[in-house]
Amino acid sequence: MAERDQTVKIELQVLGSSLRSIAEEMGAVLIRASFSANIKERRDCSTALFDERGRMIAQAEHIPVHLGALPDAVAAVRAREPGPDDMFILNDPYAGGTHLPDITLVSRTAVGFAATRAHHADVGAAEPGSLPAGSCRLDEEGVVIPPTRLDEATLDALTARMRNPDERRGDLRAQLAANRLASRRLEELCARRGRELVAAATEELHSYAERRIRAAIAELPDGRFEASDVLEVGEGDLELRAALTIDGDELELDFAGTAPQHQGNLNCPLAVTRSACYFVVRCLTDPDTPASGGAFAPVTVRAPEGSLVNARPPAAVAAGNVETSSRVADVVFLAFGEAIDIPAQGQGTMNNVTLGNDRFTYYETIGGGQGACPDSDGPSAVHVAMSNTLSTPTEALELAYPIRVERHELRLGSGGAGRHRGGDGVARELRALELCRLSILSERRRHAPQGRSRGKPGAPGRNLLNGEELPAKVTRDIQPGDVVRIESPGGGGYGSPGLPAS
Amino acid sequence: MAILGVDVGGTFTDAVLLTDENELRTAKIPTARRQEESVLAAAAAVEAVELERFAHGTTVATNALLERKGARTAFVGTDGFEQVLHLRRQNRAELYQLCAEHPEPLVPLDRCFGVRERVGPDGVIAPLELDSLPELDAEAVAVCLLFSFRDLDHERAVAAELRRRLPKARVVASHEISPEFREYERASTTAIDAYLGPVVASYLRALGERVAAAGLPKPLVMRSSGGVASLEEAAAHPAVALLSGPAAGTVGAALLARSAGFENAISFDMGGTSTDVSLIVGGRAELGAEREVAGLPLRLPAVDLHTVGAGGGSIVWLDSGGAIRVGPESAGADPGPACYGRGGTRPTVTDANLLLGRLPAILAGGVELDGEAAASAFGGIDPAAALEVVNAEMLRALRVVSVERGHDPREFALVAFGGAGPLHACALADELEIGTVLVPAAAGVLSALGLVASEERRDRVVPYVRPLAEVEDLPAEGEADLRYAGQSFELTVPIQRDLAEAFHGAHEERYGYADRTRELELVSVRTAETRLGPVFDLPPGEPLHVEGPATVELDGATCFVAPGWVGDRDGDSTLVLTRA
Repeated sequence: MAERDQTVKIELQVLGSSLRSIAEEMGAVLIRASFSANIKERRDCSTALFDERGRMIAQAEHIPVHLGALPDAVAAVRAREPGPDDMFILNDPYAGGTHLPDITLVSRTAVGFAATRAHHADVGAAEPGSLPAGSCRLDEEGVVIPPTRLDEATLDALTARMRNPDERRGDLRAQLAANRLASRRLEELCARRGRELVAAATEELHSYAERRIRAAIAELPDGRFEASDVLEVGEGDLELRAALTIDGDELELDFAGTAPQHQGNLNCPLAVTRSACYFVVRCLTDPDTPASGGAFAPVTVRAPEGSLVNARPPAAVAAGNVETSSRVADVVFLAFGEAIDIPAQGQGTMNNVTLGNDRFTYYETIGGGQGACPDSDGPSAVHVAMSNTLSTPTEALELAYPIRVERHELRLGSGGAGRHRGGDGVARELRALELCRLSILSERRRHAPQGRSRGKPGAPGRNLLNGEELPAKVTRDIQPGDVVRIESPGGGGYGSPGLPAS
Repeated sequence: MAILGVDVGGTFTDAVLLTDENELRTAKIPTARRQEESVLAAAAAVEAVELERFAHGTTVATNALLERKGARTAFVGTDGFEQVLHLRRQNRAELYQLCAEHPEPLVPLDRCFGVRERVGPDGVIAPLELDSLPELDAEAVAVCLLFSFRDLDHERAVAAELRRRLPKARVVASHEISPEFREYERASTTAIDAYLGPVVASYLRALGERVAAAGLPKPLVMRSSGGVASLEEAAAHPAVALLSGPAAGTVGAALLARSAGFENAISFDMGGTSTDVSLIVGGRAELGAEREVAGLPLRLPAVDLHTVGAGGGSIVWLDSGGAIRVGPESAGADPGPACYGRGGTRPTVTDANLLLGRLPAILAGGVELDGEAAASAFGGIDPAAALEVVNAEMLRALRVVSVERGHDPREFALVAFGGAGPLHACALADELEIGTVLVPAAAGVLSALGLVASEERRDRVVPYVRPLAEVEDLPAEGEADLRYAGQSFELTVPIQRDLAEAFHGAHEERYGYADRTRELELVSVRTAETRLGPVFDLPPGEPLHVEGPATVELDGATCFVAPGWVGDRDGDSTLVLTRA
């Protein structure tokens, strides 16, 4: 019997590998067929497959913040009982989405669902780019799309309400192509191996990831560990609190005590908070675990309703997905730090910059310093937590937009000193060649990324307009010739700087 | 007049000599520390005299890059952008391992310099100030200025000035090697080329001298794109030869397939520690425009090779979730698989093949295999399951080069070679519903055979980045990289009369839709000057007919004919496996 079990298990393992390649092929199609720089150059998108119960079974590994949040999109669509040929579109953060620029397409496959999510350069807010610094209500951040059946007429109607509808349509068609590819590939797979067996493989993928992550959690010390960190707003700081309880091979993260939802847009739906928690668990336990829902089964996330990390409508959420998610990751790392050795803090922000007018929208996030690890320096000029988007090449940017890049260089020395040094941040200077609106959403401008085990903090970030300092979050006009300079934070150092590296 | 091919690999150097009498002589010798000695020894082993042509595949460039033994290199970029090699594209090396580092750039920060100048998408924005170029001390210099693919004057002037100041240094300007947009990838390619220049040039010089002294003709060097370059061309831009050996393998596979009547084939080269898979369409290797080598982006035409870090020597292990895993750790040549009886105790793919009766008790080379050692290494792990797992990895690679590139593998033959390829081929063909597997008689030296058959080739890329409608000066032949205006990735279409329609069709096939109202952009045109290689027939082989399950001993490999398959050899020396 044991031998038969092993044979079946191997067959399922082999099928699991096919499912992963389908998710990856979806991602390749989406990137290659898309039109806006944010998707085609920066790869701000994710693709994944789900089983009949809506559990994630395979994901192309692009963007961590999408990892734990996509299942909510599939759940929202499942609740609407989609037919076999239905394609659903959504971006409502309170019905399966994260923030409005992330548009998700969900479709049926032979064994469940396929989902694609891409960050669109504009979704029709008053401000170009739809990441305004000052929004207070969700409907100020763009077109809110509850889960809706997508046909050509809907596609035209939705994109007509956004800037550059032609580009939006091109990007959505790239998503459609990826979703359709998933259906086709899964049909082929089921025809060859039998639907039953493929469904069984999805089950095995799930429980395999769960076994691995449970084994890793069991290695951690039991107990309750608490930590706090802050977000920066105009009037002061907003506190995030996390309590970690490790119990055998399971753990719980509770955000009780975190600040209530804010009148600005740093709020996030629970899906985003969960993503950040899963990210940290994966980093600190078993980074090689396949991206499957099973990896998160032993992790419970609780957050008070109406708080910054589990917002209720109609709170604005633009910065939640990009900035608050980074801080959730930081505070969860800190809670783990009470139990085990952890890296120093990374830049803790994505340094979101949007430039645009009625003719164009350019959106970019800027990498910075990674915190040093107990055994190595932190890398420089990288995205450190919930993002992993690429930079837009200067040549691609200038070919597409009326913007000139003046400088793009390391912020040498911005990484914190330590036995292991924190990574350096980046400086990027953009000159507007037309009258346009600038939006910046950034963090760690007042509070530097902290070192660990007596390592020094990294340098906080700075935003400058023609040499004058701008606030961490700002939306304003800028004139042709104006130069915006973003300096991203350095990472914290690890260990006493005086001691030689062991 | 005879034709010689010598392929120097990491462990072995292979030679194939095609004589006047259409006889193929092969030899395999261990690779020496100095590659030129291995080349000479291998040539002597096949008694190469009175050669008409001599083609060479080398790993000197690859090794220098992997081992970081290139020149002390400096980088010159546009002022404000001189750190481009260190900024990369800002994604991290591993998504969930925060401090995992990308490979260190080839040029350290303190040798990256800026020069005041600026070219933009529409031409010069700021004039070149040559006196802002600092004095620098280096054995090689890579120059990559912004938008040099549009306007190369500044970059050319900087390179000329550096050559004047540093007459002994190797200076490479980005427009000379990779005139295409995206500055990081172009800079990386230029840096690789400059870094390798001195090392590879001195190897090729030494080789040229030794070969001349031995009375052999000047060697041609295999490019990554599957055609050979002259010795001087390879010495001028060694980055073109980084995939020299694997490219030769694909050319060999194409030759084998063609002589068996297949224009379309998948090349499957499974060695000891890794496996290379590539696609042959219409008798030619499919090329890719960009890839990573040793973790660094390289934007040069190269055989579109997909590499898997698993081969015959890969270690089989159980992970914490109870799954069987294979590789990337390998038992290598020393101690080798447990069954070699040289002290290896951990189970490998080769051990699994032995336990399942797919290898003979004594290998062709005389190595006696120890079944008990293999069995004890495997302990509780089922060897059949281990083979399934490694085959699943291979299958993914085979799907990447076929299905994901829009090709139906059922229309292809599988050419299986390398020490372990012929053992796994039937199982993979079954999965992909491939009807024919071709196994060369000399499965261990197919790359050297590819060198014998190779054509001469010069690749040229002309950047356009203009609306297709405005382009009037298209060459008659070649390939066009096209996209919808606004996209960033191109589809490559052979130049033909209705180029636009050809692109719409390709887009529809690949992405499920075409938009004939959108403007098309011509990104670049790729042309290749080629001179066909020698035409010859594979020599005849001993006739053979076997029905699976069976094993067939080959020169340097064993072939496993799976149940349900038959193997035939009639006509030439290739073993043809088909489903019974």
